[in-house]
Amino acid sequence: MKQRMILIASLVLLLAVIGYMVYDLFFSESDRSTNPYDYGLAELRKSDSALIHYNEVQQFSIGLSEVYGIATDPAGRIYVTGADIVEVFSPEGELLSTFPFQDTAYCITISPDGTILLGMEDHLEFMSPQGEIINRWKPVSEKSILTSVATDGTDVFIADAGEKIVYRFNMKGELINRIGEKDSLAGIPGFVIPSPYFDLGLGRDGELWVVNSGRHLFEAFRPDGTLISTWGQPSMEVEGFCGCCNPSHFVILSDGSFVTSEKGIERVKVYLPSGEFSCLVAAPNQFDEGTRGMDLALDPNGRIILLDPWRSQVRIFVHKEDESDGNR
Amino acid sequence: MHEGGKDKTVGRRTFIRNGVQISIAVGLGGIATLVATKAGGDEFVWQLDPSKCTQCGRCANSCVKSPSAVKCVHVYAMCGYCDLCGGYFLPETKILDTAAEHQLCPTKAIKRTFIEDPFFQYTIEEDLCIGCGKCVKGCDAFGNGSLQLQVRQNLCDNCNECAIARNCPSDAYSRVPADKPYLLNGFGKEKPDIT
Repeated sequence: MKQRMILIASLVLLLAVIGYMVYDLFFSESDRSTNPYDYGLAELRKSDSALIHYNEVQQFSIGLSEVYGIATDPAGRIYVTGADIVEVFSPEGELLSTFPFQDTAYCITISPDGTILLGMEDHLEFMSPQGEIINRWKPVSEKSILTSVATDGTDVFIADAGEKIVYRFNMKGELINRIGEKDSLAGIPGFVIPSPYFDLGLGRDGELWVVNSGRHLFEAFRPDGTLISTWGQPSMEVEGFCGCCNPSHFVILSDGSFVTSEKGIERVKVYLPSGEFSCLVAAPNQFDEGTRGMDLALDPNGRIILLDPWRSQVRIFVHKEDESDGNR
Repeated sequence: MHEGGKDKTVGRRTFIRNGVQISIAVGLGGIATLVATKAGGDEFVWQLDPSKCTQCGRCANSCVKSPSAVKCVHVYAMCGYCDLCGGYFLPETKILDTAAEHQLCPTKAIKRTFIEDPFFQYTIEEDLCIGCGKCVKGCDAFGNGSLQLQVRQNLCDNCNECAIARNCPSDAYSRVPADKPYLLNGFGKEKPDIT
């Protein structure tokens, strides 16, 4: 009797073990779906909602599959460009015009007289406000990858990620000087540009701000190339710039603050003119993972105009205080 | 019996001779086919397409080899030689040095070498790499994507049914010609620094 009980107990135990093995081999999916080597980007994409001082008030789709640059004019019209075309939208997002051209533009700006400056891979093209190509400069260099252009109507500043230099031209297309070349005596460290994200913009006092993205620094220069100041720090935390080369794009607000966009951890932030972190415009969870190339512009009402290439949209953000004042 | 039937009978010597000749012909034919196949590059090996890879970690555990025949490969032509390398450092790292606690790789298989300010070179030590793809994910998210997973053909047993391919959730594995065994992304792929 005792032996029979032991035999039955052994059989039950054996069946239980076999049952567990079968379940583990063929039905247990939990371990397979878990990656023990997960990088954990989800944690990095979390942010404190109290830091977000802006609301997204509007977004509209653009008809381009390949988009790179966005700009605004003094009337608040929004210009978007990429492969073969410039699309012009009203401040409300209504498509006003489409200006076709050949080649692909990687950056765009509007001069004070309304001329549209398009940065192709290695040269600039000038388009009239009516959409006609009125000038085409010769290629800057064989290695050029033009990523940003700015003008005050007198000088044209071009960021070249291929040559890792900024050029200053006059409006005739004559090179005046190169800006940002490594010069230890002048305290200029030189630009480190690991990937083609190399933005520039003009400040309130006519100074030129350039993102030294490989060093995670903003650098300010006088037009003659003299280095004035720098700020910035690498960090995955919200106060710094993450990854290999950030910020990828920026625009300067009327009070001298900086609005920056980053890739890797997709986020848009505001920094005070001193370089101190101020607030978030948009948190990572407001973007699709992997979004990059978020060019920025500013309209006359202080709205932040963001190009979202992943969603093929223009997205507009307004400060929460301004929104309550009815500035939409 | 018909008289002509006598002609159709085959002698033992003739039968053996014919058999030997046919065997030699078949053997030579087989060898010729094998040589032609080799010369024509029709042999295939397993490889994964980095553009489909999601770095799920299964390459590290599914391979019949231990450690896996899948390794991280560095396409140097794409690398930014960054100080703050997303493929080398843990995301929360604030001090950029070679301390083990700051490194992302679970086996510390990436060697960081100072080149000149502010550039650093990152080299994969294949003996230590387990093919988990953690560094690939970091490089892809924050850098240029110069770190990529590949089946190292000198380590792969080229099984008929690849265990990793069977488990790959993104269908990144396929047979590729043995004379072009690597599938690398980016502008440096024409000259991969691997043999």
